[in-house]
Amino acid sequence: MIPLDHFLILGAILFSIGIFGVLTRRSAIGILMSIELILNTANINFIAFNKFLGAGDGLGQIFALLVITIAAASAVIGLVLIIAVYRNTKNIFAENINLMKW
Amino acid sequence: MNSGLIQQLSSSVFYIIAGLTVFFAIRLVISRNIFHSAIFLAMVLMGVACVYLYLGAEFLAIAQVLIYVGAIVILFLFVIMLTASIHDRAISQMNKQVLISAAGAAAFLLLIIKVIKAGSWQANNPSAPELSIKELGKSLMTTYVLPFEAISLILIAVLVGAIVIAKSGKR
Repeated sequence: MIPLDHFLILGAILFSIGIFGVLTRRSAIGILMSIELILNTANINFIAFNKFLGAGDGLGQIFALLVITIAAASAVIGLVLIIAVYRNTKNIFAENINLMKW
Repeated sequence: MNSGLIQQLSSSVFYIIAGLTVFFAIRLVISRNIFHSAIFLAMVLMGVACVYLYLGAEFLAIAQVLIYVGAIVILFLFVIMLTASIHDRAISQMNKQVLISAAGAAAFLLLIIKVIKAGSWQANNPSAPELSIKELGKSLMTTYVLPFEAISLILIAVLVGAIVIAKSGKR
């Protein structure tokens, strides 16, 4: 039986890697991929807490299901925005996207 | 085979999967080729699906593979091939904040691990009966029907919004 701590530590490690990716990636697609990683670690924590500390009604699993749906929606919107930006600037590096800055 | 050996085997497989997932996640964030990053993202998501299986969430593992690996990663690959010049390895994929970001992420990780170690997690039902897919679906349609409907609304909005934004720019 794997203790709860190990799931939480796995989640924390993956979360930190995702944070590093969001902070260092130059292309907007890389940033989006790191965000997907971060949302997944949140799901690991939800399900682990649900299994070990939950009341047995599966609230954590349902919440994780909602998080997966939101993550899919956010990925779609982000990718569509990237395509729209690419169409205008021929560039997807995050530091060059300053159309709305003055 | 006795059950103790099986249990030991299953937990060592978990640690192997966890290590591989962390390795692929590191490759995901440091890979120079963004196309490789998307492939590593698929690997990481498969690893996380295996972790879900260890936590007794079969439906979520299946949904993870279907939605993430089957749909989102493919979408990422399409957008990468539509936009970036994927073979251009001369362009740096990292900005100038690598060192300070690594230090910040490591400090954050240390903080979280300290908090996890400090907390006394008392598992109140470690051998609780696992939730079946049937019960999950039933509670999704009865107790938690409001979030379910809200999520349907969000999906519709995303569908319409994606088409409107991705449409050709001429108004």
